[in-house]
Amino acid sequence: MYKIKMPRFGLTMESGFIEKWFKKENDEVKKGEPLLEVSSEKITNEVASPASGIILKIMGKEKEEIKVGTVIAIIGEEGEKIEEIKEKVEPEKITEAVETEETPSTRITLPERGGRIKASPLAKKIAREKNLDLSQIRGTGPGGRIEKKDVLAYLSSVSGKKVEFKIEKLSGLRKTIAERLSKSFHTAITLTNTTEVDFTEFKKLMKENKVSITSGLLFVLSKVLKELNKFNAHFDSDKKELIIFNDINIGIAVDTEKGLMVPVLKKVDKLSLKIINEQIKELAGKARKGIISEDDIKGSTFTLTNLGMMRTEIFTPVINPPEVAILGIGRIIRKPVVTDENKISIRELAYLSLSYDHRIIDGADAAKFLEKLARLIENPVLK
Amino acid sequence: MREITFAEALGEAIFEEMEKDPTIFTYGEDVAKQGGIFGAYKSLLGKFPDRIFDTPISEEVIYGSALGAALVGMRPIAEFHFADFLFTGIQSITLQIEKIRYMTGGQGKLHLLLRGPDGISNSAAAQHSESIETIFMHTPGIKVIIPSTPYDIKGLIKTALREDDPVICFEHKMLYKIKGPVPEKEYLIPFGVADIKKEGNDVTVVTMSRMVHESLKAAEELEHEGINVEVIDLRTLVPWDKKTVIESVKKTSHLVVSHETWKRAGWGAEIASVVQEEAFDYLDAPIIRVGAKNVPMPFSSSLQDFVTPDYKDVINAVKKVLR
Repeated sequence: MYKIKMPRFGLTMESGFIEKWFKKENDEVKKGEPLLEVSSEKITNEVASPASGIILKIMGKEKEEIKVGTVIAIIGEEGEKIEEIKEKVEPEKITEAVETEETPSTRITLPERGGRIKASPLAKKIAREKNLDLSQIRGTGPGGRIEKKDVLAYLSSVSGKKVEFKIEKLSGLRKTIAERLSKSFHTAITLTNTTEVDFTEFKKLMKENKVSITSGLLFVLSKVLKELNKFNAHFDSDKKELIIFNDINIGIAVDTEKGLMVPVLKKVDKLSLKIINEQIKELAGKARKGIISEDDIKGSTFTLTNLGMMRTEIFTPVINPPEVAILGIGRIIRKPVVTDENKISIRELAYLSLSYDHRIIDGADAAKFLEKLARLIENPVLK
Repeated sequence: MREITFAEALGEAIFEEMEKDPTIFTYGEDVAKQGGIFGAYKSLLGKFPDRIFDTPISEEVIYGSALGAALVGMRPIAEFHFADFLFTGIQSITLQIEKIRYMTGGQGKLHLLLRGPDGISNSAAAQHSESIETIFMHTPGIKVIIPSTPYDIKGLIKTALREDDPVICFEHKMLYKIKGPVPEKEYLIPFGVADIKKEGNDVTVVTMSRMVHESLKAAEELEHEGINVEVIDLRTLVPWDKKTVIESVKKTSHLVVSHETWKRAGWGAEIASVVQEEAFDYLDAPIIRVGAKNVPMPFSSSLQDFVTPDYKDVINAVKKVLR
């Protein structure tokens, strides 16, 4: 008899949300067969059955949030009595749940593997160089040892799908958004400064270089963040510490069918405009197809949200915690403008909306930020 | 190119160097009148009658007198009748010959070549079949050369006869009669330079002496199965060509070391250790050693075959390391 418990996907996971069961009570299930779908904060995984048998009872219902380690189902032999089982169906301590063998493995974890991963020195070296997780690779050498050919086979299977990382389907996303945003709303003291900026030259230059406005904005934004690094930071409100980052990793809010997603472009200040443009396309594409990996949505130090393609000019973006600020871009509109020579000229204008956590950043800082950014947009250079 | 035997190539090397260098003389048991028990000196019969001569059966005297002669500026070539007997005169070698240059602070040179047969033959049993080259790799102070072809023995012996350090040369009994191309023009083979006998990408086999030929035979058979073996003949054990071996392992990621001497603490263990120390990240499988079983050699020929490694053991080892 096997007790199926709510699995733990990551160290910080405390509970899981049962998206759906693939089996009903009294169904037969084979070891390794998908049993249910569980979502954590960010990731949805299929959970494979750790044993073969009949599903005697399902305690964890669909759409229920359940603590890690709690028994959610019982697999046994046909005819085994539920009364007998009932005594044993008690939620167990979370710490034990991680260790217990009966915690079902997720589908991506190899079945019947001990804790130690056996791999040849060469296989380890390649995995290290390619940033691969050896636990994801099936070893075919003696005793299941991972050898070079196994790593290469894994690499080619992954690159066949044209992404560098493992592909995982996302769901339960809306919950995450709600949690994060309400946390932000309730803890940060959010203010928004806005300014109108002339995009005429900027837009022209981006068009000439065949890159998107968003790419160009990331390019100039990274320069401002580098200079005013207080904006490129996380605020730990418990410790009252501001963590200022050297890397500039900008999250880009993307509208997808399943909801808002924020893929992260890493080390933006080290990238050329062209590369930024390519990487955004790839990330946004992955986000819209729902094949983005957890790594792609982690580690942002600042967020950009662009509503320029929609009918919004000025808005109040909500900070993505633990970040301290977020920049919103509104629709670019052609307007009459009084030039320096006191003439009326038709220019393309848009509003920048900078929301910031007033606990960390003062209004004057925000104004300075917008000033610098506006100057870079109005006098664009590609260096 | 002309082909001559291993023994003829050895004789040629000694003859040519004796003609050039009057300090060279050579002696041992049954070398002058018989031409050596395995015919090593057949081609020297009747030549240099006062510089090639026989000695009584006394290993201690043979090695000890060579040491004395070398100390007064001669360049003796002393033959050990069987490698097994080296132990009967070992103190001259390990206590004196190997040490003297160091203990005199390098003031003196020691022009001395010990050479003779080792390895198995037809049922020569426990006291006449040994390969003990590892002993001289382990105890520092002497260079160790182990040629596998007529070409190599000529080039290596000529180098040995121009060395300032003592050298010991092991000649496998079963190699004296093999023939191979040897140029008539003079050449030398430097110590510490391995010969890649066959290039390959899948697995490296490091070997010497008779096992070079067994390893090549194994490589040929494995080729039919699509396994591409690189065979490296070290040719000299002290010094050994670490660079070539490590480069090869970096290419193939798999290593087999094959020798006729006992597997237990044989020199293959040293090669394997150095490779894992210096090229660990390139290994895709454990290193496997091929060597004799850890027993004195039986007299029975079928038991001798059982104890001694051959090409089949190399094939098995390669398959195991690639499995």
